Amino acid sequence: MGITFTVYSEGRNVDRTLPFDLIPRVIERREWERTAAGLRQRMQALNLFIGDIYGEQRIVKAKVFPRALLKDSVNFREQCVGVKPPLGVWAHICGSDLVRDGDGTLYALEDNLRIPSGVSYMIENRMVAKKVFPELFETSAIRPVDDYPAQLYDTLAALSPRPGDTPVIALLTPGIYNSAYFEHCFLAQSMGIELVEGGDLFVGDDDICYMRTVYGPKRVDVVYRRVDDSFLDPEVFHPDSVLGVRGLIRSWRAGKVALANAPGAGVADDKVVFTYVPKMIKYYLGEEPILPNVPSYLCHDAKERAYVLDHLDKLVVKPANESGGYGMLVGPRSTKRQRDQFRRLIEADPRNYMAQPTLSLSTAPILGDKGPEPRHLDLRPFILSREDVYVTTGGLTRVAMKKNSLVVNSSQGGGAKDTWVVDLEETA
Amino acid sequence: MLSRVANNLYWFSRYIRRAENMARLIDVSSQLQLDLPRTAHIAWRPLVDTLGASAEFERLHGSGDAPSEAEVIRFLLVEPENPLALRGVVRHAREILRTVRETMPQDCWIAVNDLYLHIETNAERAGHRRHRQDFLARVIDCCLRVSALLANNVSRDIGYQFMRLGSAIEQADMTSRIIDAAAAGLIQARSEDDAEAFRAMQWMSVLQSLAAYQMFRRHLRQRVGAELALQFLLKDREFPRSVLFCLTRIQGMLQQMPPQRLVQQAFRRGLGLVFDADPARLVAIGPCEFMDRLQVELAALDAAIHQSYFPG
Repeated sequence: MGITFTVYSEGRNVDRTLPFDLIPRVIERREWERTAAGLRQRMQALNLFIGDIYGEQRIVKAKVFPRALLKDSVNFREQCVGVKPPLGVWAHICGSDLVRDGDGTLYALEDNLRIPSGVSYMIENRMVAKKVFPELFETSAIRPVDDYPAQLYDTLAALSPRPGDTPVIALLTPGIYNSAYFEHCFLAQSMGIELVEGGDLFVGDDDICYMRTVYGPKRVDVVYRRVDDSFLDPEVFHPDSVLGVRGLIRSWRAGKVALANAPGAGVADDKVVFTYVPKMIKYYLGEEPILPNVPSYLCHDAKERAYVLDHLDKLVVKPANESGGYGMLVGPRSTKRQRDQFRRLIEADPRNYMAQPTLSLSTAPILGDKGPEPRHLDLRPFILSREDVYVTTGGLTRVAMKKNSLVVNSSQGGGAKDTWVVDLEETA
Repeated sequence: MLSRVANNLYWFSRYIRRAENMARLIDVSSQLQLDLPRTAHIAWRPLVDTLGASAEFERLHGSGDAPSEAEVIRFLLVEPENPLALRGVVRHAREILRTVRETMPQDCWIAVNDLYLHIETNAERAGHRRHRQDFLARVIDCCLRVSALLANNVSRDIGYQFMRLGSAIEQADMTSRIIDAAAAGLIQARSEDDAEAFRAMQWMSVLQSLAAYQMFRRHLRQRVGAELALQFLLKDREFPRSVLFCLTRIQGMLQQMPPQRLVQQAFRRGLGLVFDADPARLVAIGPCEFMDRLQVELAALDAAIHQSYFPG
């Protein structure tokens, strides 16, 4: 039972089913509300940060955020400097990963601000759970999650450069070989928007973005792009990209088309920049962070690097810009050879690495072959930013299906659970 | 409707129609061979030329004019170098369907997958005569199942019109190609007397390839001969695989589509050609040249459709 996705780097692309575990993960409503407030606060600060970085760079001038980090960021886009996207929002859609430590605290582990995926699994998992446990849902103490496509549609529609008219919105997918193609179809269908590939769009001399239809060119107002920045526009980035649209960035800069997420939003989606989020919250909002960060050590700092290199066997080391759990070292599970390899990698490019203590990650029961067994898990809520900020009810719970494994990514053999935010005060 | 999606729907239904006609042509030719005495045999090579794959075939087998049945059948069914081989055509149809899967009924995907798996599993064995007929019969069934699903379960939106357009153009094209193959002398006889005797058999097999034999008998009530067969397959107004019938269908579809001058012009040229065709004369001078012209006009119509509706 489950949903197919594509796994890269196993020789050839293989469609695999995302395993679904029947036992739901339960979160109490009041705890969730606190967490959601923390996520809203994070997203406000992150969007202010991205806007600031491509604007006046006040946070750098105030010496809260080191200029050197910016210089080396692979996700900083020169082309975005000076752009003022609608509503001042850059990362309209964010998937933040949360983990619970041994002491019961929920920590933020990372914020995916580029093209986060997984929300379709959250919705589909709920559909499966409702089929299996209809009686439990009848009590209505379990908060619904299926509002997301409508919320996403509103988020996208609000960006239209032609307010008043019904906007033309398109989801730009890299195509059927992308690992998240299922999700692209799912979202396009459930929002009733067009599912387009790069070749379906073009930008005219008037800087307007059009899609090619059998009735002739039709103007597109908003592009929900699920194509990475670097493939988005061969005029600006990879000149040989066939996934993107020539002139799209030009159109976006001219305010003729809205892009979600905005190009360059990934500058804050960097495991090193992540460590500065609590400081951003204080700097931009003057508030204390509600949701703590997982403590982190930055390898570009000589003192912290020395600590990391001395404790490789106890830490989790991550490259700054990888996603999907690729290219990381889990210290306590590593071999000496792997540790030596990471020692060399870190020394060669310290900016690109950060380390976190190996948390005693919480577990939840899954239904194994021999009955319930504990497995590690995390939680990815999705956050939509427009005039207000919307947070999904719960999110996607990812679970490591292998015993003792700490890696929950679907590309590394993880599975999923339905997530129930339950109101304990409400009686059935 | 996005041009890319319309283009894919158009080609998807063309390929399914092509696969069905190819299976019919190979099946009927194989059976015809069984009916022939030892003094006559089928020239298999025209089948290759008919389907427009001469260059690929000669690259693999040289230009000798009497390739064996096994060589040709393998080439037409599974040869990876032949982009027009049945297996390649069906693989292609399935790949296209993947990209437009969200616009099509789930049943259609299942039916195409059945067809695909059948060919992947059994096509290699179909080189053998004993397995060939069953194999081809099931290919035809699977293709018809896809057509039936489309006809019954898909809303009549603009996307559906493009699918119908694709299958009508493909059928007109395949009808002309199958006539072409027969006219190029499918049966090779040792003496002129034999040749005369087999000519009727030959036209019967053409009608059978196009599932037209029974309808021909019922509606014309005459012996099968070259002129009447041509008349029926080119200009019959009621038989759905006749060229004129297909063109009339296309005319109706074009009226429901965004008007495009280029397409209208190309269509009228094709229709005029078929209107003016005189079967008696075509028999006298041999129909091959006419069929080639018809294929050129249909290709021009296809090009006009691409230019007008699927630019970029």
